[in-house]
Amino acid sequence: MLTILRFAVLSIFLTLGFSLAQGWDGGDDLPTNPLACGEGGGGDVAMMDYNGGQAAGEMSMMGEAITIIDVPKLVGIGYFAATTLGQQQAAEELGNVTVTTDAPTEANIDDQIAVIENYIASGDINGILFAANDPVAISPVLRSALEQGIHVVGYDANSEPDAREWFVNQAEFNGIAKSMIDSLAAEKGEDASFGIVTSTFTTPNQARWIAEMQAYQEACYPDMAWLETLEAQEDAVLSFNQANTLINKYGEDLDGILGMTSVATPSSADAVTQAGLCGEVAVVGLATPNAMKPYVNDGCVESVVLWNPVDLGYAAVHVMRAIVDGELSPGDTSVMAGRLGELQVVNGSEILLGAPFVFNADNINDFDF
Amino acid sequence: MSSRLDPLVLLPLILGIVTLIIYQFAPFVIQPDLGATSIPTLTETRSNNEFGVTTNGLILIRIAAGAIILLGLWTLTNNQLSRAAAALTALAGILVLEYFVVFWRDYAQEGATYLSSMGFGFWTLLGLGILMLLQAAIPRPAVAREFQLRSLAANQESAILLALVVLIVTIGIASPRFLATRNILDILQGNAYIAVAAIGMAMVIITGNIDISVGSLIGLLAVISGRLVVAGAPIWLAWLTPLLIGALVGLFIALIVTYLRVPSIVVTLGMFSILKGALILWTNGQRVTGMPEGFYLAQMKPFGIPMSILFMLVLTLLAALWMRYSGAGRSLYAVGGNAEAARLSGLSATRVVIMAFVLNGVFAGIASVLYATQLQIIQATPPPALELFIIMAAVVGGVSILGGKGTVIGAMLAAILLNMIRSGMIFIDFNVFYLQAITGLLILLTVLIDLIRRRRQMV
Amino acid sequence: MADAAQTSKPTWVQRLRGILFSQEGILLLILLGVIIVLAQQNPNFWTVRNLLNQGRLMSEVGLVALPMTFIIITAGIDLSVGSILGLSAIVLGVLWKGAGLPLELAIFLALIIGSLAGLMNGLFIVKLDVPPLIMTLATLALYRGLAQGISQARSVTGYPEWFFIFGQGRILGLPTQLWLFIIFTILSIIILRRTTLGRSLYAIGNNPVGARFSGLPVGRNLLIIYTYAGFMSALAGVVFVSRVTTTRSDMGAGLELDVIAAVVLGGTSIFGGKGTVIGTVIGLVLIQLLKNGLALSGVTSDATIIVIGVVLILAILVNNFIQLKRTS
Repeated sequence: MLTILRFAVLSIFLTLGFSLAQGWDGGDDLPTNPLACGEGGGGDVAMMDYNGGQAAGEMSMMGEAITIIDVPKLVGIGYFAATTLGQQQAAEELGNVTVTTDAPTEANIDDQIAVIENYIASGDINGILFAANDPVAISPVLRSALEQGIHVVGYDANSEPDAREWFVNQAEFNGIAKSMIDSLAAEKGEDASFGIVTSTFTTPNQARWIAEMQAYQEACYPDMAWLETLEAQEDAVLSFNQANTLINKYGEDLDGILGMTSVATPSSADAVTQAGLCGEVAVVGLATPNAMKPYVNDGCVESVVLWNPVDLGYAAVHVMRAIVDGELSPGDTSVMAGRLGELQVVNGSEILLGAPFVFNADNINDFDF
Repeated sequence: MSSRLDPLVLLPLILGIVTLIIYQFAPFVIQPDLGATSIPTLTETRSNNEFGVTTNGLILIRIAAGAIILLGLWTLTNNQLSRAAAALTALAGILVLEYFVVFWRDYAQEGATYLSSMGFGFWTLLGLGILMLLQAAIPRPAVAREFQLRSLAANQESAILLALVVLIVTIGIASPRFLATRNILDILQGNAYIAVAAIGMAMVIITGNIDISVGSLIGLLAVISGRLVVAGAPIWLAWLTPLLIGALVGLFIALIVTYLRVPSIVVTLGMFSILKGALILWTNGQRVTGMPEGFYLAQMKPFGIPMSILFMLVLTLLAALWMRYSGAGRSLYAVGGNAEAARLSGLSATRVVIMAFVLNGVFAGIASVLYATQLQIIQATPPPALELFIIMAAVVGGVSILGGKGTVIGAMLAAILLNMIRSGMIFIDFNVFYLQAITGLLILLTVLIDLIRRRRQMV
Repeated sequence: MADAAQTSKPTWVQRLRGILFSQEGILLLILLGVIIVLAQQNPNFWTVRNLLNQGRLMSEVGLVALPMTFIIITAGIDLSVGSILGLSAIVLGVLWKGAGLPLELAIFLALIIGSLAGLMNGLFIVKLDVPPLIMTLATLALYRGLAQGISQARSVTGYPEWFFIFGQGRILGLPTQLWLFIIFTILSIIILRRTTLGRSLYAIGNNPVGARFSGLPVGRNLLIIYTYAGFMSALAGVVFVSRVTTTRSDMGAGLELDVIAAVVLGGTSIFGGKGTVIGTVIGLVLIQLLKNGLALSGVTSDATIIVIGVVLILAILVNNFIQLKRTS
């Protein structure tokens, strides 16, 4: 009996030992496309052919009231509460749109698919807005929605292109990467060493951002050093502990921490604040302004990179309305989105919200989400 | 208790006190430009150097000295602990000596003329460390019904303590920054709220039940606490309300378990969903921010020690003493070990189980306050898998799921161990993906050790 | 069940009452009640399309709930099924894409690995006397950790078309995985009712020491059911990967709670010695239709899980009450 045990334990350790050597940086393996260095450098958006899917059936709802369901990654976090707010604003403005938000209580793919399936089955909806937990996993159910004549528009986190008609992209991945690294360089110089704290290692968006950040940094700031990437799920205190470990491990060698989510960034800022290292360790990250107000107003954090999720939700609903009214079709190069004006079409079937927005002490108190 | 005080009994106490004095006052290093510096002064004069050890005050020496002083005092009243105190002193000696290994490498690297610039404090401390190690070999007279040295290995708490020391020594030598005061304190503090919640969970498990809803409960109570204080309630009210609500929820669960005879795993499975859904429904994703300064309990540092650590230590100690020496506390073990026998001896299993769950709720409340006050924002969703961590801390700490065995000290040590493994893995660049696997192996190891122990006892 | 003193055969009225007031009977009545209410709320609820779809979605939980019924009948438990699902999914992906094995072989090996994982659970529980809760708590972390480590957080996609038949295809109108579920349900019922293995499970749950002394191969039977649990988790994993066309290391997280809820709701006692596969199936269907119906009526996810939690506790309470009444 004990021999079986020993064998089992041994084989487990072998597998473990196997991977001792590998390091993880948090990025994915997809090709990157860093922007030009320095000021401006907003990329030339690639003109591609339309590559989205199409809803079956005729355009029969032009001008009529439609019902949309919004299925973000999960409910219960401020970011998606903000997108919902924007959606409701758009619905009120348009007058002939009803939007409801429903999503699983945890960010897992199975529950999200089940929610979408339920709404398709209910037969009451004309359109689906989604922010995918996994781009591949969500695509089959979205395609079946398209086949049944339901319009599908994504935002924040994409699916495979042919599974939805359009995708509202908050900002290009390489644009976000550029903002983050440029902010860090501005604060700490071009030879800063930085660590990354992200939330989970299986989230596609964050992996893309990290990969782009690294490509941009290698191209434009070769003297910068990436130290380590740590992850901490959606747990604020765990993120805090991870950030502390980062600070303790590298000591003076750590110049900055890049936080990739609205959980990781405030926790990292808190870690730096409580360690008394404000100003010595810069914290730059993606987060909602409300989460970062205490730290920005204290002066501990100088820049928070994001886009406006309220605008993102707002734009998504307008895009849906435009599709239904026939004002947005494959091949168009722009679309009108209410108070946001004209939004560009990029990458074939993506609608770009705009450049990333940088919150700092001057403007962060003007926002409430 | 013998009337003549055996000097051997006093040895740990003496060693501990002398160590602290030397640490605080004696000149440690004689540097040309600075003159003689004691360890605390060394801390201030040198900023973050290559290894960061001597900069930060060698806190483990302080912790070790403090621990053997405490145990030494306890031994004075109860000489059954004499051998245990000796073993602990040896462990303390290992920690002291480890610093010297690291210190030697640090100083030699800097090209300092090593031996000639060391002061009286350095040599004395070195000697003390060796003495601590060696005194364990001195044979101690046998005492009736003694806390056998072998029985030290016979319980889970000492196994975990040993594991902690082994980890500290190995990771510390491999990556000396691990030993820095700030890091050690961070490790102790990081899972402190889990350790506090594990106290309550241990009580529940010892009575033969389980609670898988405690994670959602902590998340909910934390938000309640934050919202209260933001809405203008006095801070003390915001701190105490979670305890009250936690107790009520515990009472509710206990009543269903005892009077309505629904198994605890089912009730708490249902409560897990109910509490989580209620929290999300209520907060709608809005985090709580803007709490006033005085609210941040966990960030306060009385006597320089982070509040969370104090809570963890004091509560664990009180609970351990209560569970061992008070009738009510021991009734938990009785009910868990053999409910029928307990009933026959007059204990009301119902009341004991209710007490266990209510206390679990209270401790969950305390944990939620620590959790809520650690950062300047409070999340709107409960930390994922928190209940699993708490149960794992209790289980690895030696609390038996069959009921009737285990102590809360083990649970606290296990919570610290889990955090130390997480941090340690990062320091030595161990592939971080395997953290969960290591945790699982740890539980398996606990189980195996327990098994070997049981087999030995039967023989 | 029938009165021991009764000498004549129970009349059909008595037999009907026996069925109606059994655990499963009560549950069936609750289920019917829920269906009627939900069907009135939304006309699309009680349609073939919707029901077939729900059948598809619940199959993964269902496949795992079958062996879990066996395990809980023996007063054991298995918390690691979700992690075994994730591990098997990862193994499938890594063997196919990383090692370049043909997909059929990778599927086969994934099933083997899942079974081995279950076997390891069983070995520790049987040979080393580890309480099932602890052992499967440990393997919950261990297997999940292995899945994360082996996958290094990379997903595997790009499976060939034919693979999707498990998760997305239909055979004779019913979803493939529903067929799998039906077949295994029938198999499990047969095992439980008609084989000595199945019947011994009740004995083990009621009185493990007595069972051993009466010569039952307790150890061997327990090993078999834990291995069965591992196998079914792996099978559910294969179906899941086929359904979502991708492999992730966090698949199956939380599955164990859904499975246990279904089994317990179905009348299987956590203390062991009682339970049926039919009950589990009814419990499973009840939870799935409840979630579905509530969603169709516009209830959001956060409120739905509250309802599920309440239903779970209430159903057990009702059942306890009725069983108490019957035996008094």
